[in-house]
Amino acid sequence: MAGYISFLENRVMPVAGRIAEQKHLQAIRDGIILTMPLLIIGSLFLIIGFIPIPGYSDFMSGIFGDKWLTKLLYPVNATFDIMALIVSFGVAYRLAEKYKVDPLSAGAISVASFLLATPYTTMFTPEGAGAAVEVGGVIPVALMGSKGLFVAMILAILSTEIYRKIIQKKIVITMPEGVPPAVSRSFVALIPAAVVLLVVWLLRILIENTSFQSIHNIVADLLVGPLNTLGGSLFGAIIAVLLVHVLWSLGLHGAAIVEGVLGPIWLSLMDQNRAIFQASAGAELPNIVTKQFFDMWVYAGGSGATLALVLLMMFRARSEQMKNIGRLSMGPGLFNINEPVIFGMPIVMNPLLIIPFIVAPIVLVVISYAAMTLGWVAKPSGVAVPWTTPPIISGYLATGGKISGSVLQLVNFVIALLIYYPFFRLWDKQKLAEEKASSASDKAASL
Amino acid sequence: MKILLCCNAGMSTSLLVQKMEQAAEEKGITAKIWAVSADEVKNHIDQAEVLLLGPQVRYKLPGLKKEGEARGIPVDVISTIDYGTLNGKNVLEFALRLKK
Repeated sequence: MAGYISFLENRVMPVAGRIAEQKHLQAIRDGIILTMPLLIIGSLFLIIGFIPIPGYSDFMSGIFGDKWLTKLLYPVNATFDIMALIVSFGVAYRLAEKYKVDPLSAGAISVASFLLATPYTTMFTPEGAGAAVEVGGVIPVALMGSKGLFVAMILAILSTEIYRKIIQKKIVITMPEGVPPAVSRSFVALIPAAVVLLVVWLLRILIENTSFQSIHNIVADLLVGPLNTLGGSLFGAIIAVLLVHVLWSLGLHGAAIVEGVLGPIWLSLMDQNRAIFQASAGAELPNIVTKQFFDMWVYAGGSGATLALVLLMMFRARSEQMKNIGRLSMGPGLFNINEPVIFGMPIVMNPLLIIPFIVAPIVLVVISYAAMTLGWVAKPSGVAVPWTTPPIISGYLATGGKISGSVLQLVNFVIALLIYYPFFRLWDKQKLAEEKASSASDKAASL
Repeated sequence: MKILLCCNAGMSTSLLVQKMEQAAEEKGITAKIWAVSADEVKNHIDQAEVLLLGPQVRYKLPGLKKEGEARGIPVDVISTIDYGTLNGKNVLEFALRLKK
């Protein structure tokens, strides 16, 4: 076990640290965060639109008219459907910030290059017509949402890299002194912006002459397809959870590190579900593995599904130490914050407790995946529930208002409890013995 | 005394902030203690006299240490045991020691 720990400490940790600190991955993660408040607000409207109470829809149309749902979902469209556009700006902004070049200009150039890569046409079926016709002069909303996410990220990185290289080589138009800084900044961006747009323009012209026709199609076929298949599979989910928990057992924030890589995949899978759920609330949803899948059904109480352990510590512990940490951890644990347990128990570098800490979440992934595949439990509907939402409520909300989502959380909680119990008992017993020994030696000393 | 704490999202360190404020009050020290996410540190570091990292983001130490050195601010990682047990008193003392 000592060899295993030192292997993790000396080999795995530096690699994990490098991944977590990698500039582009960080920029992607930080850029995507920009969409989160919007998606959560959009989700509120989604939830209100599809409350599963019989007669709810009739009741609403009685008050607000037939078009109530369309109108209610306006904010959903304005948040989810422009996800890629915001990511395009956010990733470039965050990356430029890391290079210490003007982030605002980098963001603006990135948005322009993203739109330059996008054909301004869409397919439209006029009322009464049988076939769809191509309409020009529009920005296709479909590609501004999760479908355009990867193109947005790639071009944000490409354009910002070109931008900062040119700036750093000082190939810029410099204004004489006395010109207001805002004006001179926009001139500084002129040459890099021209180069970026030229590159993307040439790329687009080139690709239009191939069978792919657009950058979006290339990325979808070659990158997003395979990534989604892998990241959305049971195997991918198990690997992700395994990595997160191995990192956490070293005391590193595993979820933050793994999400830097897998976040965009889970986000686009989530939005595929959202689009279908929004079109028809009863339809079969394609994806199980999304960020909500982990947050709601695997990480009850935080990474490691430690809420069950906290409950054991609070009510079943005999040692003072376990009781205290249990009490301390219950409040934050309900909101899925569990650093007190991870570091205080501790689980970190603890050969005994690392076992259930890694095993429990993997078992929960398998069970939840199976329950959703078999149709016993509703799949995540694409509602972006914040990870701090307490269990039971969060399962209900994440499935778009299905009780089965909460029931699975309860079942998973009990399973986690059973997995933790024997290990908890052993650790508690050991702590109790230590406490007895030290109080005995105290007594001996005072005599 | 201005102490800045950071972890991944600024959530678990904010638990520690409360405990540290209590400890400061008991000691009669006027202190401004606040927690932010690791990505926001650069917007806050100029107002801080000490920067402490949660152990789960200790891989950020080399980068943030450089930022701290440029400003003459000590930067270090909180001990895992004090962090896990939310021992505000120890962490406050740790910050005070670093400041010296």
